[in-house]
Amino acid sequence: MTTRRLPAARATVLLLVVAVAAVLAAGLHGGPASTTGAAGDPIPAPALHGTTLDGGRFDLAEARGQVVVVNVFASWCGPCRDELPLLDDIARRWSPYGLRVVGLNLRDGPEAVRALLSETGTTGLTVLPDPDGTQAVRWGVRGVPETFVVDRDGRIVARRPGVVTQEWLDQRVTPLLRAA
Amino acid sequence: MSWRRLLGVLAVAALLAGAGTGLLRSSAPDPDTDPVRTIAAGLRCPACQGESVADSQSPIAAAMRQAVADQLARGRSPAEIRRWFVERYGDEVLADPPARGLPLLLWAVPALALLGAGAAAVRTLRPPRRRASAAAAVGSAPAGVAARRVWWLSCAAVVALVAAVAVVAGRLEDAQPQAPPADPVAVTLQLARELEQQQRYDAAAELYRDALRELPDDGVQLRLAFALLRAGDAAGAERTAREVLTRSPDSPDGLLVLGLAQRSTRPEEAPQTLRRFLTVAPRHPAAEEISRLVDG
Repeated sequence: MTTRRLPAARATVLLLVVAVAAVLAAGLHGGPASTTGAAGDPIPAPALHGTTLDGGRFDLAEARGQVVVVNVFASWCGPCRDELPLLDDIARRWSPYGLRVVGLNLRDGPEAVRALLSETGTTGLTVLPDPDGTQAVRWGVRGVPETFVVDRDGRIVARRPGVVTQEWLDQRVTPLLRAA
Repeated sequence: MSWRRLLGVLAVAALLAGAGTGLLRSSAPDPDTDPVRTIAAGLRCPACQGESVADSQSPIAAAMRQAVADQLARGRSPAEIRRWFVERYGDEVLADPPARGLPLLLWAVPALALLGAGAAAVRTLRPPRRRASAAAAVGSAPAGVAARRVWWLSCAAVVALVAAVAVVAGRLEDAQPQAPPADPVAVTLQLARELEQQQRYDAAAELYRDALRELPDDGVQLRLAFALLRAGDAAGAERTAREVLTRSPDSPDGLLVLGLAQRSTRPEEAPQTLRRFLTVAPRHPAAEEISRLVDG
C-alpha cells in the first residue's frame, strides 16, 4: 500500500514546493518595488498654495513653465536639517534656468522654522507653512523629509522619500532644466 | 465519560465561548463612535509599522485625521474619503485592502500546501495497520522506513528551498537598477556646454567646477579654463591652465588658454607661450588665428 502511494505523494509535494517557491519569489520580488514610491507615469501635481513664511503668496499653478522642487520638511525632523543647505544651494544656482524650490513646512510653528532656517543658513528658501498637514496629505506624503519634482507642465515626474542627494537632484532635475 | 475527557471538553467549550464573545464584541458596530475615528481606524498609517491612522501619534497620521475631519465636514461619504486616500497612497493605505491577484495567491497557496502536505504526511507516517503488518510482516517494514526517510528528506528540502528563495530573492532585489542609468557628470557637462553656447560663461564655469569635483579630468579643467577666460576672469583661467600644464606640460589647449590669459595678466610672457603652442600643435584649429595674433 505505502509503496504504491509514494510516487503520487512525492509528485504532490514537488508541485506544492514549486508553487510555494514561485509565489514566495514573486511576492519578495514585487513587494518592495511597490512601496518605494518611485515615480511611475507622471501624474498631475495636486494644488499647492498659500501664504509663505515671509508673508508672500505662493501658488503652484502660477509656477507653470518652471521646474518646481517641493520639499516637505519640519524643524522637528533631524535629516531635514541636513538637506536644507543643498536645496537652498540648488535654488540659488539653478534658478536662472527655470528652477523654483519650495519647502512645505509640515505641522510646525513659524518661530521654530525661522530658527531652523537661520541655523542652517537657508533663510532665502521659499517656505509654505502647512500647520495642520492637510496640504502634505493631499500630496500623499508618507513622512518627512520627502521631495517631489514637478516638471514645466505641472506633472510630478519624480518623488523621493527620505533625504535628497546632489546625485539624485542631478539625475532628476538637471535634465528638465536642459529641456528649457 | 472519564473525568479527564470531561475536563478537556469543558476547557474547549470555555475557549470557544470566549472566542465567540470576543469576535461578536469586536465586530459589532458601536453607535456612539466618532465618525472620524471610525474612518481613521480603517486607514493604515504610512509612516509607522502596523498602526492605524486613528491610533498613531505620528504627525502624518495626525494630518490624515485632520484631512478625514475636513472631508466629513464637507459632506463626503466614508467610501468617498477612503477612495480619496487610496488615490494618494494606494491600496495599502487601507487597513483591510482588497485581496486580489498575487496577494490572494500568497494567502491561498501556503494554506493549500499545508493542507495537502499534512494529509499526505498523515497517510504515510501513521503506524501501519495491524492487519497489513500481519499480512506482510517482513515485506512492508523496510518499505515503511524508506517512505519515512523520503518524507523527512522532503521536509528538509522544503525548508532549504524556502530559505534559499528568501535569501536569493533579496539579493536579486538589490541587484535591480534603482534609477535610470543617467551619468550626473555627463548631464552637468552637457548643461555647461549649452550655457557656453548661450554665452553665459560664468554659469558654465560654475557647472564645470561642479563636474570637476565629481570627476577630476584635464579635459574638463581646460573647458573650465576656457569658460573663465571668456567670462573675463583671466587670472582664474591662467591658474586653471597652469594646473593642467603641471601634469602635462605640452597640452596644446593648456598652452593656448594660458597664452590668451597672459595677454591680460602678463602681456610680456604671452607671445612666448603662444609660440610654444604653435610649435606643439601647428595644425590646431586655432593655430592660424594665433599665429596672426603673435606675428601681428
